Amino acid sequence: MALCRKILSLGSPMRQLVLSSERCLSVSTTHHIDNLNKKQVEPKGVEALNPVEKNLTITVEGLADITKLTGVPEEHIKPRRVLIKKPTKNAMQSGTNNLHKWVMTFDTKERWENPLMGWASTADPLSNLEVEFASKEDAIVFCEKNGWQWAVQEPPQKPPRAKSYADNFSWNKRTRRSTK
Amino acid sequence: MLQAGSAVRGLCKAIRPSAPIVKAADKAMAAHALPATLVLSRSQSNKPVVADNRVEVFVDDIPVMVEPGTTVLQAAAMAGVEIPRFCYHERLSVAGNCRMCLVEVEKAAKPVAACAMPVMKGWRIKTNSEMTRKAREGVMEFLLINHPLDCPICDQGGECDLQDQSMAFGSDRTRFLDPKRAVEDKNLGPLVKTIMTRCIHCTRCVRFASEVAGVEDLGTTGRGNSMEIGTYVEKMLLSELSGNVIDLCPVGALTSKPYSFSARPWELRRTDSIDVFDALGSNITVNHRTGEVLRILPKTNEDINEEWLADKARFACDGLKRQRLVAPMVKDSKGDLRPCEWEDALIVAATALQEANGSVAAVAGGQADAEALTALRDLVYRLGGQHVCTEEVFPDNGSGTDLRSNYLLNSSIAGMEEADLVVFIGTNPRYVVLVLPCMSPTPGAWCWCCLVCHQPQHLGDSSATVEQLCAGTHAFSSKLAAAKRPMIIVGQALLGQSQGGVLYAKICQLANKLRGSVEPSWRVLNVLHRVASQVAALDLGYKAGVAAVRQQKPKVLFLLGADEGAITRSDLPADTTVIYQGSHGDAGAAMADIVLPGATYTEKTATYVNTEGRAQTTLAAITPPGYAREDWKIIRAISEVLLCVFNVVAHEEPMNVMLQSVGAARVDGSAVLRPALLQLEDYYMTDVVSRASPTMAKCIAAVKKEKSNRYHSK
Repeated sequence: MALCRKILSLGSPMRQLVLSSERCLSVSTTHHIDNLNKKQVEPKGVEALNPVEKNLTITVEGLADITKLTGVPEEHIKPRRVLIKKPTKNAMQSGTNNLHKWVMTFDTKERWENPLMGWASTADPLSNLEVEFASKEDAIVFCEKNGWQWAVQEPPQKPPRAKSYADNFSWNKRTRRSTK
Repeated sequence: MLQAGSAVRGLCKAIRPSAPIVKAADKAMAAHALPATLVLSRSQSNKPVVADNRVEVFVDDIPVMVEPGTTVLQAAAMAGVEIPRFCYHERLSVAGNCRMCLVEVEKAAKPVAACAMPVMKGWRIKTNSEMTRKAREGVMEFLLINHPLDCPICDQGGECDLQDQSMAFGSDRTRFLDPKRAVEDKNLGPLVKTIMTRCIHCTRCVRFASEVAGVEDLGTTGRGNSMEIGTYVEKMLLSELSGNVIDLCPVGALTSKPYSFSARPWELRRTDSIDVFDALGSNITVNHRTGEVLRILPKTNEDINEEWLADKARFACDGLKRQRLVAPMVKDSKGDLRPCEWEDALIVAATALQEANGSVAAVAGGQADAEALTALRDLVYRLGGQHVCTEEVFPDNGSGTDLRSNYLLNSSIAGMEEADLVVFIGTNPRYVVLVLPCMSPTPGAWCWCCLVCHQPQHLGDSSATVEQLCAGTHAFSSKLAAAKRPMIIVGQALLGQSQGGVLYAKICQLANKLRGSVEPSWRVLNVLHRVASQVAALDLGYKAGVAAVRQQKPKVLFLLGADEGAITRSDLPADTTVIYQGSHGDAGAAMADIVLPGATYTEKTATYVNTEGRAQTTLAAITPPGYAREDWKIIRAISEVLLCVFNVVAHEEPMNVMLQSVGAARVDGSAVLRPALLQLEDYYMTDVVSRASPTMAKCIAAVKKEKSNRYHSK
């Protein structure tokens, strides 16, 4: 998952997987990199790289499947459903500043009360995962890479509304407001 | 029957200040809307000749093109700049009294109130200048003169506009050291809790009550420091939409009574879902923590509920925890229901179904989801049963439910805004589908069916009135014929009549006649359902009404959440085995031999189709209690026990009796068309969940008590 986050923070464009060279070394063998199946840079030891080469990246063309790399158990890949959406506005508040991003949420799994302390427990490690994206396409690519089934919920569209303070004082019965 | 005035709407449209605002990016659309002649000249000269009367303004140096008449606040929103506000709400009229939205406009001597000031050409609006910041800080200092510093014990804490905005724009100290004033709390009923000392007098609640809910009870008294929001005399807020003032209140003055002191917003998990207490399919957000639903809030959907929610949908959620069926039960030899294992219950149920030899029928209740309905239908058909029915009645003469448009709200909920005349027959939209009355073309000023504001005309109580309307002899007929976009909305009080079929057929004829004079795409005939499952059930081939089951006297009757008493023990032979599957112990479980505990709408991911035919999905927020399971899984498990191969193509109904020409049938004109829900107290308990809800019980008690209040207006 850390790897995914890293990839994400690099703002990967669609159909391109950008891996930092350090990460490649840490996750490992050439075999895995083969599985990513496209162009690759021969990994070297970090200490052998000069500062410029340290920022070297590997670009993979085509949509990659990183489920083999991530080590996520199958029960958290195949049956999981992801909803990609903009955050729902809290009806109690009027601010909208936190709604300009896309987030992904997983389907709810069972939660129960811990018999010892009464705390809420869950066996679902993904229930607290909150990943933000700049666009829904990024989120879709991320889900595809991780093998999750996804659905996109479009945000509500606001129709333009004409507002006028003067309506309160109109001599028309309907817009004249006694409640001003 | 009620009719909302047409002239009023016309007038309202005429005084609309300007054409709808077109966003800067929507130039193409604007050009598209031009008259043909203009478009032609454009193609000739190869230069776009757009009658563009929009004005350019600059918000923090971002240029934006807006319609004349747009307010500074709206223009800023278009540029992506959000101006802080308390009193302004886009679905209510502009009050302009909190002053929080003050911004600097270049060359203006004073800061202007962005919510009320229309923009002028070339204005440079500065939302982050020194003057703006100073103005906001000053306003915030004034707002906090009397506001108590009780955020730690305030239910709004964590989702409070005042809290957030004072952090962002306020000062760290005040110059007002006088003692704060205190205001007596008002009693608005069992749903809305008031702590009036916290009120900042934004008047959003007052405007909502009068403009959207149509209740003129709230208002302000006094002025200056002694201004108070209230009802003047002690009165309950008698509205079925009262919960919305809790959302609207930007501070903690109006909070939820049932939810008080139960959770903080940052502890809650939020799951988007669909409401199933009526057939509207309002979008909601289920707020839950530690596996229990704590509150339900509306979620914006412009086509359905805008951003309002009815009280039953909002507050009946405590009924989800009570009277629940938590384990399968089977009747023992003494005739008592005993809890047992799933395995035993499934085997007993499957054996009964097997031994029925095809004499199997099913009845679905009002909150059954489409997946369970499909599974049950397939199971019954597979066993050789003929009848899958719904509790709700719908006429089956003519093309009956074969044509989808016969039982849908064809004009759609959002489409109602375009109607110029609406006739309600046999329904009280206010209590059947509550949010419906709020739908309005522009907030506040002219909500068409705030029946209260528009003084609807009452055409009559009996089916004779329908006859007269159809025959064109009613005094109102000429008005109906003259309407450009008339809508006829038919409800349950008509359809459930013994003569409902004939009346409905006549209304269909009337609608067809009216369609001749309106534009082809406009649909006149609309059906307003009461329950969430009905449209899906009819879509899936369920038969409306249980008459067929009564006649058949099946050996096994499967009730899928059927609790309204459409069919009782006395309708069935003594040896009939009744299997009840549902969430709550109510009428259905009481008459059952086998009880299978199912899930409520907050516990399953399921599809519901609303009265306009829109399929929407609920998302499971929590897990069902005890051994309860998702409904379609239970039915699938039974069919697995039965060794049925599932998903086989169900064989069709052998025949659908087609009655022809209903025009000749006679109607007894004395039948009374009274909607079942006429009074506010009728509204609160209509299904298993709300019947199990203590909050709804309190509401009914309070409304009844309010009737003895001497200030209660009839």
